[in-house]
Amino acid sequence: MSGSNVWSRTREKLRLFPEVFAQCAEEAAIYGRCVAATTTSKQELKKDLCAKEFEALKTCFTNAAKKRAK
Amino acid sequence: MSRVCLSVLQGLHAAGWSSRLQAGLRSEPRRVLSASGRGRMNVFNREMKKRQKNWAASLQDGGLYDYLRDEVGSRVADRVYDIARTFPLALDVGGGKSHIAEHLNKDVVERLFLTDISQQAVRRGRQTEIPTHCILADEEFLPFRENTFDLVVSSLVLHWINDLPGALRQIHQVLKPDGVFIGAMVGGETLYELRCSLQLAETEREGGFSPHVSPYTAVTDLGNLLGQAGFNMLTVDIDDVQVHYPGIMEVMTDLQGMGESNCAWNRRSLLHRDTMLAAAAVYKEMYGNEDGSIPATFEILYMIGWKPHESQAKPARRGSATTSFGDLSKINQPSGAEKP
Repeated sequence: MSGSNVWSRTREKLRLFPEVFAQCAEEAAIYGRCVAATTTSKQELKKDLCAKEFEALKTCFTNAAKKRAK
Repeated sequence: MSRVCLSVLQGLHAAGWSSRLQAGLRSEPRRVLSASGRGRMNVFNREMKKRQKNWAASLQDGGLYDYLRDEVGSRVADRVYDIARTFPLALDVGGGKSHIAEHLNKDVVERLFLTDISQQAVRRGRQTEIPTHCILADEEFLPFRENTFDLVVSSLVLHWINDLPGALRQIHQVLKPDGVFIGAMVGGETLYELRCSLQLAETEREGGFSPHVSPYTAVTDLGNLLGQAGFNMLTVDIDDVQVHYPGIMEVMTDLQGMGESNCAWNRRSLLHRDTMLAAAAVYKEMYGNEDGSIPATFEILYMIGWKPHESQAKPARRGSATTSFGDLSKINQPSGAEKP
């Protein structure tokens, strides 16, 4: 990790996490439901089982973060 | 409100201690389990825990994170009041900022010793009317002579101890006969929501998971532990404290501020931001409340154990019963004239 203020910048970004996360409540709920469904169904939770839903969540999150940063 | 804080390293002989406590410091810490041949449990990095507690105690707004310890401290103090006795000398193991002593008064505890591994926490101790001596000591190596204390209390520190049976045995040793140990520790299903969310998110995102929440003692094991340590007349009960947070980041920040960050040797030092995002979503979906907040459960186990003494009630000898259960049916019902 390079740069003199990596930790402070990362901590600053983390502080904004809840605010940005709140913008993507719907995508988060869809992803959460996909994962939670595996706890009740016979299907075992495997890597990338809910990759599509997570990609949607991640795009929403990065867009919201970019908007916040402006 | 006298408070004398001494560090073990500075030498206890320098202060004017009463003769009861002379040479209380052992020359080397006793490693109880090695004598019995069993391997020493080494789950937690105690050095890391000391650093985490020092960091948490030096925070400017450290008081913000004290709510859980204050609450549990007051409940432990309640249990001390329930025992109708005055304790001349008491010990608070891992007392930190002395959350228990601030609720006690001089009538119940005349003199208090407080140990903790974190110097910063001890320095910021709360005001209490009980004369207190603070000592920097690890909970697993209590530097006191046997049969010293009438009362030992401990609140929310036992869950970071590597050798819990050994620590309980040491507490048993430093107690006087007919002394009592009142403890509170997190156990059982504490933070299961956080544990499950992280586990599911990590499995889905990374294909496997590693433990992020430390292992806890189950309430069923606690009775055995106390019994093996030599306590009798045990009382164990559970309190479920649920705290609501806005999101998973606040849960983790508060745990860090309390000095409760993970310090197990097998902890992973990195949490991918994808996994964090996934865990936040899973936590909210699986456990979230209607108002958008998420709950975090702290299962507090309270334990009371007494050091054996002849004055304590013993179970009756077999065959000494004078009545039988069958006689219950022969008890007369109260007559109608007696009813109001």
